[in-house]
Amino acid sequence: MNAKIGNWPGVTIEKKTGIIKGTKHEITDLPGIYSLSPYSIEEDISRKFIFDEKPDVIINIVDATSLERSLYLTTQLMELDTKVIIALNMADLLEKKGIEINAKKLEEKLGTKVYKISALKETGINELINEIDNKKDLTRTKIYDNKIEEMISKISNNLLEAHKRFISIKLLESDSRFEENNTKELDEFRKNLESNYDTDLEEVIATERYSFIEKVKAECVREKDNVVTFSDKLDKIFLNKWIAFPIFVIVMFLVYFLSVGVVGSGTVDWVGDNMEAFGEWVGTSLETLGASDWVNSLVVNGIIAGVGAVLGFIPQLIILFLCISLLETTGYMSRIALLFDKLFRRLGMSGKSLIPFIVGSGCSVPGIMGTRIIENQDEREMTSILVPFIPCSAKLPIISLFAGYFFGEYSGIASASLYFFAILVIITSAFVLSRTKFKHVSSSYISELPEYKVPSIKYVAKDVFDKVIAFIKRAGSIILICSIVIWFLLSFSFQMEYGVDIEDSMLASIGKTISWVFYPMLGQNNWGATVSAIQGLVAKEQVVSSMAVISGLAEDVEEGSEIFAEGTPFAGITIASAYAFMVFNLFSAPCFGAIGAMQRELGSTKRMLKAVLFQTTCAWVLATIVYQIGSRIETGTFNIVNILIVSAILIAVIGICIAKFRKKKDGCSSCPYCNNCK
Amino acid sequence: MVLSKLNVGQKAKIVKLNVQNKEIRRHLLDMGLTRGTKIEIRKKAPMGDPIDIKLRDYELCISKSDLSQIEVEVVK
Repeated sequence: MNAKIGNWPGVTIEKKTGIIKGTKHEITDLPGIYSLSPYSIEEDISRKFIFDEKPDVIINIVDATSLERSLYLTTQLMELDTKVIIALNMADLLEKKGIEINAKKLEEKLGTKVYKISALKETGINELINEIDNKKDLTRTKIYDNKIEEMISKISNNLLEAHKRFISIKLLESDSRFEENNTKELDEFRKNLESNYDTDLEEVIATERYSFIEKVKAECVREKDNVVTFSDKLDKIFLNKWIAFPIFVIVMFLVYFLSVGVVGSGTVDWVGDNMEAFGEWVGTSLETLGASDWVNSLVVNGIIAGVGAVLGFIPQLIILFLCISLLETTGYMSRIALLFDKLFRRLGMSGKSLIPFIVGSGCSVPGIMGTRIIENQDEREMTSILVPFIPCSAKLPIISLFAGYFFGEYSGIASASLYFFAILVIITSAFVLSRTKFKHVSSSYISELPEYKVPSIKYVAKDVFDKVIAFIKRAGSIILICSIVIWFLLSFSFQMEYGVDIEDSMLASIGKTISWVFYPMLGQNNWGATVSAIQGLVAKEQVVSSMAVISGLAEDVEEGSEIFAEGTPFAGITIASAYAFMVFNLFSAPCFGAIGAMQRELGSTKRMLKAVLFQTTCAWVLATIVYQIGSRIETGTFNIVNILIVSAILIAVIGICIAKFRKKKDGCSSCPYCNNCK
Repeated sequence: MVLSKLNVGQKAKIVKLNVQNKEIRRHLLDMGLTRGTKIEIRKKAPMGDPIDIKLRDYELCISKSDLSQIEVEVVK
């Protein structure tokens, strides 16, 4: 079985399918859900699966330690025509918590089979699997008020499709997904019934489900009064007003230190060196086998170098995923969300968004993949689009080259200013995106607070393994194709000659054709800078090595005095255009690895392209502004009056836009005018 | 009285959900915040928002803005 047991709700985002060992049964692990209402992606996936794939049996995994809330979904599953078996999970924890559940009585009350299992300790699972073959029909308990039950049978009689009872109840609840089955007659029924209850049927039905569960629970469950639990004691520390934030800083430091700090970068270097050695070995082997130069170069410089760049991330990713998985299964992740929720919610993100940003300062790829800890789809997408804005470690060579050469003794300040600039841009983008692209339903937060748990090593190992494999599959395939394309453009001329000078390559021609794009931020047509920026797509550290190659130097030269020397294509770069070029490389489309990760997290290539376009546009606009202002300061034509007037106009325009969005956001409730528009 | 005004340790009974947003209202109902449900305020996030409440034998964190739309009656 492939059941997910993460210690916070919503762990499985996608469904997973497998075969139960020793049987022919196919089993699908659906996302964990609370209800079959169509309001979250998880619930929607599960509901569609039940309706479209028509499973023979539903195994309802119920958290035995919080039976009341968990049985709510059960009451809805029992409305379907499908056979439901209940697995009371975490049975091993019941005794510890002083809870006693009478499974036989529960079976009687619910009219379905109930098995006590422990997914962690793997007990009771064989009995559960054997029950799947039991073809006996199960009874359906009626749980609602007579008037509602009458109405349900009336509506069912007019329905033709399967799951009559379920659909009838959804129709009474005015479920938006069954609107097409709605009739005027039904509206009438609903109105009549609602007048009896002084509220809408949605609330009545939810209330009756819960009162049914309360009754069942009273008969089947005996529990001791809960005293202060272990979790409460831990929360006194981890959620303490004064020490919660220092503890968080320490935890984050550890995660950062392990995944992108000393340990992580050490492993990356190790893999990098080995890949290089492997490339050389393949190169010489191919040569002795008699492969042509260009085939050799395709394999070594195109494929192995490109894919090697991806493989280099893997040790880092394993460590990072391990840390994240531990934070999740112990329950600390839910606390992090609580710590920062208030702050990040203002920006349309979630408290958990902080983690991807911190990780992203090392490498965007694990940062973007780390956004998966965020439950809300909008917040998750927005975070994964903004994570690449944080300068990652591969952008550092660019920053140190330009800042070191052009800013001399102020290079430290120049580099640091880029980080602040990045934070400012992230906050502004988040503010704007959350009010335009991702129109938030509200600033609401409703999430379960799980108890602290000791993580299961087996589960953590499997979780990390699954995530790493997924990364290799998706990001790997994108990188492979893109690396080959860039290699091809760089190694061939338009006459299809191999081994030409970089200046005669197709990439250089393309660079020369589109170098005007960079004119506003460089103040000149500079094909070298254009080509280098494009090469940054493979990996950001490539920008520097490409500039070295174009200047006629060895690939690993990183001295500004040589790269920017008189006679090289980069001689014309000034302080203003240097800073602008850094800004462009910082914010523009990230490397293919990060783009691949973004494609995976955003769920579609189209969305990924939109995100990349957004990032690159931001980069271009910001770099242009930097150069245009900077170059005027440089030449002394900087005019304070002009700047003041322009900024005043800009602030006014932004103000008007925000006011307009705010009006849209609050809708009619804030509008002081007539009521006619409704 | 609304739920967001209660202090840690106080108990209350839900009187009415005044939640405007249909999705959030539905979600709160699904999570068991129906009329008459007993609730206890357990913890607050270090910045005071969201707030952790206990109901139906489990704990749920809800932001203040949502809690302020839930009408309750304090019980001793």
